[in-house]
Amino acid sequence: MKNPPVLIKSIKQKDNHVFTVDWSDNISKEYRLSSLQKNCPCAKCYDPTSGKQLTSGADLDVNVRAAQIKSVGRYALKIQFSSGCSRGIYSYAMLRSLESS
Amino acid sequence: MPLKMFQAKERQPEQSHPGKIAHILAVAAGKGGVGKSTVTVNLALALKQAGYSVGIMDTDIYGPSIRKMLPEDEMPVQKGEKLSPAICRGIRVISMAYFRKENEASAVRAPIANGVIAQFIHKVDWGYLDFLLVDFPPGTGDVQLTLSQQAGLCGAIMVTTPQEVAVLDVRKAVHLFDIVNIPIIGIVENMSYYENKGEKIYLFGKGGGERLAHEIGTPLLGHIPIDPKISACGDAGLPLFTDGEPLSPAALAFTELAEAVVAHTTALKRLSTECLPSFELTWKEMS
Repeated sequence: MKNPPVLIKSIKQKDNHVFTVDWSDNISKEYRLSSLQKNCPCAKCYDPTSGKQLTSGADLDVNVRAAQIKSVGRYALKIQFSSGCSRGIYSYAMLRSLESS
Repeated sequence: MPLKMFQAKERQPEQSHPGKIAHILAVAAGKGGVGKSTVTVNLALALKQAGYSVGIMDTDIYGPSIRKMLPEDEMPVQKGEKLSPAICRGIRVISMAYFRKENEASAVRAPIANGVIAQFIHKVDWGYLDFLLVDFPPGTGDVQLTLSQQAGLCGAIMVTTPQEVAVLDVRKAVHLFDIVNIPIIGIVENMSYYENKGEKIYLFGKGGGERLAHEIGTPLLGHIPIDPKISACGDAGLPLFTDGEPLSPAALAFTELAEAVVAHTTALKRLSTECLPSFELTWKEMS
């Protein structure tokens, strides 16, 4: 039997650059906005065929902030960043695979 | 010999089986020909094999096909006001097919079809079930609305095939469930590929199910391959898991689909109690 999918119990802003997520399996993780933007999964920033990130880290603002974070269905979230690409849909599976910031 | 149908005597209550059925799930597409009934039957068999008690409500009044794929061991029985469902390999089934000869058309107008569906919902004594799968008819009309409003659905499984023309109609069905606030449990991509000597050939294109799942924000529950055994077992009324090959790619795909359905349905239940069904975090300036 596959494990049931993990879901978000709570999501909170920690400071100007970081938010925290409490997952349904009682794991808490912190996510830095700039790290997420660096791993943006949108079609312009990420090539699924080669598995390579197309955006260069040099173009990104390490102090990027957010305007809003919204859920997408039951499986992902979307971040409106203060600058740079905001097209990415960050699946819960992807967020769980990232190291806590 | 088809069974006689009885006229319902009184107005039906809104919900007639609270607590007796743990999960009532729609299997829908908005389109005909994508394999809703095939997915319903094999998903039910896979759930049964995993130890769950399962029922199927075949609500396709005009073209019921479940009975052909899942022949009855016991016919439905009328007990006073209630109807006991047919028993087919341990799965409880109700279908219009029991009330018509195999080649006889159900030439009834929508209000009559709706009345039959209401009787299926309210007058069938299912007993306790872990899962009742409601095989939706194609389209987004009267019967689909009745089911959405009265059947006590806790979620919907959307079936599509990979090509865009199928995905287009599934989007409309998704919209119907949005309107009536029934969560989509996930997408099943049927007829995903044909496997020839280990090579997967994508006859109808690739990625339609993934794109739809991504677009509407639901999980992709599984890919079902094109496998002649699926149609052969369906036509012969034999289960894919024992009379086919239990470890065939098709049987494995349905077993994995059943696991995903159980996992996501459980998660959906938990979601309604302890997790955030949706959220919107507005960023603030912090010192």
